[in-house]
Amino acid sequence: MRLKLIAAALPLVALAPVAVQSAGQPSRSPEEIYTTRCAYCHEAGGWGTRALAKRVPAGEAELRNRSSLPPAYTIAVVRRGIGAMPQFTPTELTDAELEALANWLDRGNR
Amino acid sequence: MAVLPPGLTQQAFDQAIAEFRAAIGEEWVFTSDADRASYLDPFDMGDQDDHASAAALAPSGVEDCRKILEIANRHKVPLWPISMGKNLAYGTAAPEMRGSVILDLKRMNRVIEVNEELGTAIVEPGVSFFDFKAELERRGSGLWMSGPAHSWGSVIGNALEHGVGYTPYGQHVETICGMEVLLADGSLVRTGLGALEGTKEWQAFRWPFGPGLDGMFTQSNFGIVTKMGLWLMPEPEGMAGVSIRVPAREDFHALIETLRPLRMTDVINAPYTIANGWRQITGGRVRSEVWDQPGAISRERMEELLAERGQGWWSVIFNLFDSPAALDLRLDKIRRAFAEKLPGATIDVQRWEQGQPQESWMRQEVSLAPLGVVDWGGNPGGHSDFGPIVAPLGDRAEEVYSIIEQRFLEYGKDPWIGMFGISSRALIFVADMFFTRTDAEETERCRRLFRQLCDDMADIGVGLYRTHLRFMDDAAAMHRWGDHALPRLNNRIKAALDPNGILAPGKQGIGSWEDGE
Ligand SMILES: Cc1cc2nc3c(=O)[nH]c(=O)nc-3n(C[C@H](O)[C@H](O)[C@H](O)COP(=O)(O)OP(=O)(O)OC[C@H]3O[C@@H](n4cnc5c(N)ncnc54)[C@H](O)[C@@H]3O)c2cc1C
Ligand code: HEC
Repeated sequence: MRLKLIAAALPLVALAPVAVQSAGQPSRSPEEIYTTRCAYCHEAGGWGTRALAKRVPAGEAELRNRSSLPPAYTIAVVRRGIGAMPQFTPTELTDAELEALANWLDRGNR
Repeated sequence: MAVLPPGLTQQAFDQAIAEFRAAIGEEWVFTSDADRASYLDPFDMGDQDDHASAAALAPSGVEDCRKILEIANRHKVPLWPISMGKNLAYGTAAPEMRGSVILDLKRMNRVIEVNEELGTAIVEPGVSFFDFKAELERRGSGLWMSGPAHSWGSVIGNALEHGVGYTPYGQHVETICGMEVLLADGSLVRTGLGALEGTKEWQAFRWPFGPGLDGMFTQSNFGIVTKMGLWLMPEPEGMAGVSIRVPAREDFHALIETLRPLRMTDVINAPYTIANGWRQITGGRVRSEVWDQPGAISRERMEELLAERGQGWWSVIFNLFDSPAALDLRLDKIRRAFAEKLPGATIDVQRWEQGQPQESWMRQEVSLAPLGVVDWGGNPGGHSDFGPIVAPLGDRAEEVYSIIEQRFLEYGKDPWIGMFGISSRALIFVADMFFTRTDAEETERCRRLFRQLCDDMADIGVGLYRTHLRFMDDAAAMHRWGDHALPRLNNRIKAALDPNGILAPGKQGIGSWEDGE
């Protein structure tokens, strides 16, 4: 199930050699990034969700379902890490992509 | 607080940074605190700042790397190359030497070739296991990737570090066939048959006319690997997932003696994992739920927890890869071997055949789930391991195991030990340490335990498979034979290839092991 999601989310580039992931302009949508980079830990049952369930109000542990998540906070967490959550470098997730992702999470994934 | 490369003034460093910006583009030179923080080690055994970088550079290709090398040589700026930089447990993206500049190769992320007929590929450093798996699927490839337990890292970084996967191609360094390497002076070399213009055999055979140099660039600071050829496994017709419970502590010798011939003759045709009792009691809970006393979880408590779960003192898991009929033969041999030498063992088997949906025991899905274990001991959790290489002989394995178990208990750490039968003739022990990263007493105790074990192992002639940044000099110095002849040779090669010492100083202790931490 998860595999299918990822395969579907990847851009189909016909030419070889293929740039698997472009690190330049925000070519990837927030949802795509969330699904392929965050969801492993932040979906139901993931490590992030389990860790957060211990310290956030009921129903708020899954990041996608947060009633609010200040973008500046998400940006800081993703670059600096929190607890043992490993950070993301600016080559994995550009500033522009991270900002779009943080806004998307705060806006209830819209 | 500004972090600078050792020996450089702020002014000299600023000058170098300005030149890097002009060479590869403003946006690919990272100097802000937040950006540099993203290259720290989240699982470090101590203060992350000990291994802080001064900046990070992200070249788009070999030409950018060359420009960077030229500037770095002139200004004596140390560079720490990483591929994905997710070397979690061993330092992640952080450099050994504080103040190094990260050379982040993530943007060089092409899968250059997948050759279905020859079962080979050529990749660049930035290709992660996530990327590679997706690319093989996109191509509808009949070849399978062999990945480590978590998929965040890169195909190249993992293979260079002698990483391990769980298929017949699981000793990743042995799947390397030909590399492209950029040396510190900017010269570009292709190893193996890649040295021939117009070659079609670069990925076919490792051994060129003359010495094979691929190994020289693994776990090393002799060059920057810009491309790597590797072998991939054709999809098998079937798989069997085997899990074996072995009841008692005393069965260890017999277990090793039973597994060795099976692995050596390739009946077990992929790495197996042995877990001791402590390693099996972790899943689904945290340590404070099962133990509230000082020191390590006692053997009695651990055995109680094992009994609750119906587990044996040892567990062995591995997968077999073959056609269904051939799997029957392999399983028959395994069952007979255990019936003869370890009749108390229980063997469970799951099966898969080509065309059926894949299941989690096959370990073919990309995943980050294994990382969750770092919170076992406390939050924020950290994690590293002590990893000796041991011959799979009952006496030798018992000797090493007993020393490690006893030292862990002595230092108040749970002896959370796994053993990986990664090749036909070697076991890698992985004795994990989990700690609360911000607990200075605990991390210091773990570092002392690690160094104690280095001494213990060097005394009996056992070396390490890989270590966290913090112990690179210690691990290199264990190679004492001939007045440290091998580490000395490494130093000489380093001095010849990189006279300014700009590439990954401290890596594997090369050039630094005599000075210690
Ligand atoms: C819970 C857990 C489970 C793990 N399971 C496994 C496992 O099953 N198997 C396994 O092998 N590992 C495992 N690891 C360890 C590690 O996280 C992985 O090996 C990971 O793949 C390494 O990171 P990377 O591939 O991003 O390498 P990188 O961080 O990119 O590289 C590692 C090092 O290699 C050198 N290097 C990298 N690229 C280059 C280059 N192009 N040129 C020159 N030098 C270079 C650098 O010194 C760099 O620091 C595990 C870790 C944890 C925490
Ligand atoms: C490897 C697992 C992992 C991945 C991947 C991961 N996280 Fe996390 N994340 C965690 C864990 C664990 C925590 C909780 C840490 C703690 O407090 O102990 C966390 C916490 C967070 C928090 C803090 C929430 C709060 O209420 O304090 C945010 C925000 C966050 N993650 C965002 C992200 C985003 C965005 C991504 C993807 C770009 C991501 N994470 C990817 C593991 C992960």
